[in-house]
Amino acid sequence: MRSVFSLILLVVIGAGVVFTLSSIPFGSTSSDVGEYYIDSGRADTGATNIVTSVVVGYRAFDTLGEVTVLFVAAIGLGAILAAGRENEEKKKAEWEPASLVLYTGCRFLFPLILLFGAYVFIHGHLTPGGGFQGGAIIASAFLMVYLGCRKKRISKTWARNTESISGLVFVVTGLTGLAVGGHYFLSNFLPEGTLNTLFSAGIIPIIYIAIGLKVGSELTGVIDDLIEESE
Amino acid sequence: MSFLQNNIYYIGAFGLILIGLLIVLVKHNLIKVIIGLSIMDTGINLFLIAIGYLRNGTAPIFSSPEVESVLMVDPVPQALVLTAIVIGVAVLALALSLAIRLYKHFGTLDLRKIKELKW
Amino acid sequence: MVNPVLLIAVPLGLAFMVPLIDSASRKLTRFVPVAALMFNLILCIRLIPAVLENPIVINLGGFTPPFGINLFVGPLGLLFAGLISLAGLVVSIYSLSYIKNGPVVKYHMLYMLLLTGATGVVLTGDLFNLFVFFEILCISSYALVAYHGDRAGIESSIKYLIQGTVGSGLLLIGIGFIYGIFGTLNMADIAMKIATVEQSTLFVPMILMVAGLGVESAIFPLNAWLPDAHSSAPSSISAILSGIAIEVGLYAVARIVFTVFGISDIYLFFAFLGILTLLIGEMCAFAQSNIKRMLAYSSIGQIGLILFALALATNNTVTGGLFQLVNHTISKGLLFLSAGYMIYRSGSMEISSLNGMGKRMPLTSLAFTVGAFSLVGLPPFAGFPGKFLIVSGALLKGQMVINILVGLVLLSTVIEGTYFFRVIQALYFKDGNGERKRAPATAVTAMITLMILIVALGVYPKFLADFLSSASSDLLDKMSYVGSVLK
Repeated sequence: MRSVFSLILLVVIGAGVVFTLSSIPFGSTSSDVGEYYIDSGRADTGATNIVTSVVVGYRAFDTLGEVTVLFVAAIGLGAILAAGRENEEKKKAEWEPASLVLYTGCRFLFPLILLFGAYVFIHGHLTPGGGFQGGAIIASAFLMVYLGCRKKRISKTWARNTESISGLVFVVTGLTGLAVGGHYFLSNFLPEGTLNTLFSAGIIPIIYIAIGLKVGSELTGVIDDLIEESE
Repeated sequence: MSFLQNNIYYIGAFGLILIGLLIVLVKHNLIKVIIGLSIMDTGINLFLIAIGYLRNGTAPIFSSPEVESVLMVDPVPQALVLTAIVIGVAVLALALSLAIRLYKHFGTLDLRKIKELKW
Repeated sequence: MVNPVLLIAVPLGLAFMVPLIDSASRKLTRFVPVAALMFNLILCIRLIPAVLENPIVINLGGFTPPFGINLFVGPLGLLFAGLISLAGLVVSIYSLSYIKNGPVVKYHMLYMLLLTGATGVVLTGDLFNLFVFFEILCISSYALVAYHGDRAGIESSIKYLIQGTVGSGLLLIGIGFIYGIFGTLNMADIAMKIATVEQSTLFVPMILMVAGLGVESAIFPLNAWLPDAHSSAPSSISAILSGIAIEVGLYAVARIVFTVFGISDIYLFFAFLGILTLLIGEMCAFAQSNIKRMLAYSSIGQIGLILFALALATNNTVTGGLFQLVNHTISKGLLFLSAGYMIYRSGSMEISSLNGMGKRMPLTSLAFTVGAFSLVGLPPFAGFPGKFLIVSGALLKGQMVINILVGLVLLSTVIEGTYFFRVIQALYFKDGNGERKRAPATAVTAMITLMILIVALGVYPKFLADFLSSASSDLLDKMSYVGSVLK
């Protein structure tokens, strides 16, 4: 009964969607806003990756919200898992230690992955990539250590403080723009530099580094919370 | 055939969205429902990207000064998808942590058996 | 001039800072939300004269719309921002003593972020930005509903999460369609271009967006999650969810329907939907024996009434609807806060367990009574002018259909009165046992503040009604919205 109703609902939605899509032909739509970004994105923000100039330049406020969403989810996850854990006695499960090959391999790869993650977010304004991608790569390095080296744990305070400080850097950069850079929140107050060089694009690299560190430490915190739960 | 070729991304995207919705509506296992939500999210992301696609277009990145700004795809949907992915991950993480707690309390993930609040 | 972006940036920065403050001093973190919301409230009050003259448009990052994101601070946005900071401040004072167990620091952070998300939704002028802030609001409320980690909390939170996520998915698809059709995300830009495409093309995107936002704003038939979530959350959070979260959802629906689309043919449909929501909410509330579920269903009813008033789209009814909205935020907040301590004392949410509370907790019972009277719409309280404006404004339209709907509104008020008087009767005229005990000072402060506000607004409604009148023209006057954003 329920599935019949659901199917009817889906058919109705599908029909409506097909009807509307007929006015948006595939592969030829071009928007004024998008074209403007491609034409003057480099001059406006100094970033050669136009997606970055949209994410951290034109729509930086969205990104601030996005960082906050992830922050909210990480805290929420911590709160939910902590709320149930209080009235349970802790029992430590004994983990079988990982084999030597796995252990050494993880330790060898860990700094390389971190380096790669840092590269991705530092070069966000020049090449594909950016803070979120770099942060996810960094968190994956920690996930590997958790899985491969088992007993190793990060310090919770350290992760929380990194998260907190990098979030603050984002907001304070925005507020500095409000104070000195033409009186707009999140406006660029640093020189744009030469295109296609590392030190260019004003505040974009600063924000992307902050986001990279924040996302990295946040996702690591989430992994840490979940792994603690399984013990 | 050309209809399929012209609209394959839209078909794929809405196929995923509708499959995801169907899973959410008819499945009873919480993990499957969460997977359904995730499939739906993926479909939406594909849809957004497809909206901004330009036939034979390239990525909007001027990786060297010589690159010309012709036939670049719309960067806005890509930026939106970046945001949407992060939001999807956030919701997924929260949903899974709730699922862990739910299992601790009820000993099951079957949504038909978890109905204490119905009046 | 003060910059309205600080309304969002400062609480956000403080929320990011909480872990650092926490490692410096444990005790200080509880007061961070109080400080942030106090700051917001003062900022809102200082912005009132400037906004009444001309709406403030802030281009973020210095890019002009439609290329950058802009904030639009008109009377309506400021009304909501002020309401959020006011209710948030009162409830955060209440939480100081009410929230003692569990991950307290995380509670305060989530609480602050929830209100920041709500402020972002009401101030932004960009469709996708609205979605992002909406998600902040939703995700933090999913987590806060499950704060106690008990069976009911987790169960209702997961239900809320599933329905909310499907809703925001639909909203995002709608936004994708809009971007595909118009090539822009700025609400003023879309509103200007809306006449260039056929109305039939806009039907599906609008339905998707309204359905997506309708989940959060509890419009029938998308409100199955609400009674569970509002009744199993901590009472302070119930007050915020009922008083702020669903109203903000309703604001987003109204903004999109009136300002962005502005297709007046469908307003009557929303009026019907509003009445349906109202009747179902009130009748379900009547059938409840659990006090928090009763209040939750009553919120559904009130949202229906406000939706009805907004959908009639005349200056009088919208002013009345907004008045009722302000009243609902304050009175429902007061009801949940006072019910919270009564439940805490009696240990049960059943109405029968509240027998004789009038003697055991006189002040809390008085607070509950004032809130209930105000919500029903009795004269010396804030509920009266709102309902009066709605009913008189609707009758002025002089259409037969609307007159019948007004009759249904009056009928629902009678139902509402009946179930609230049942509780009040239990409080004062039935015997119960237990010793006399006061609620803590912070809770008393919060409740007395709200009571004073209710009486003040009931006695001097003109003070607020003038401001609401310009807020309602902000909502209805599409052209001046477009004009002030795209100069």
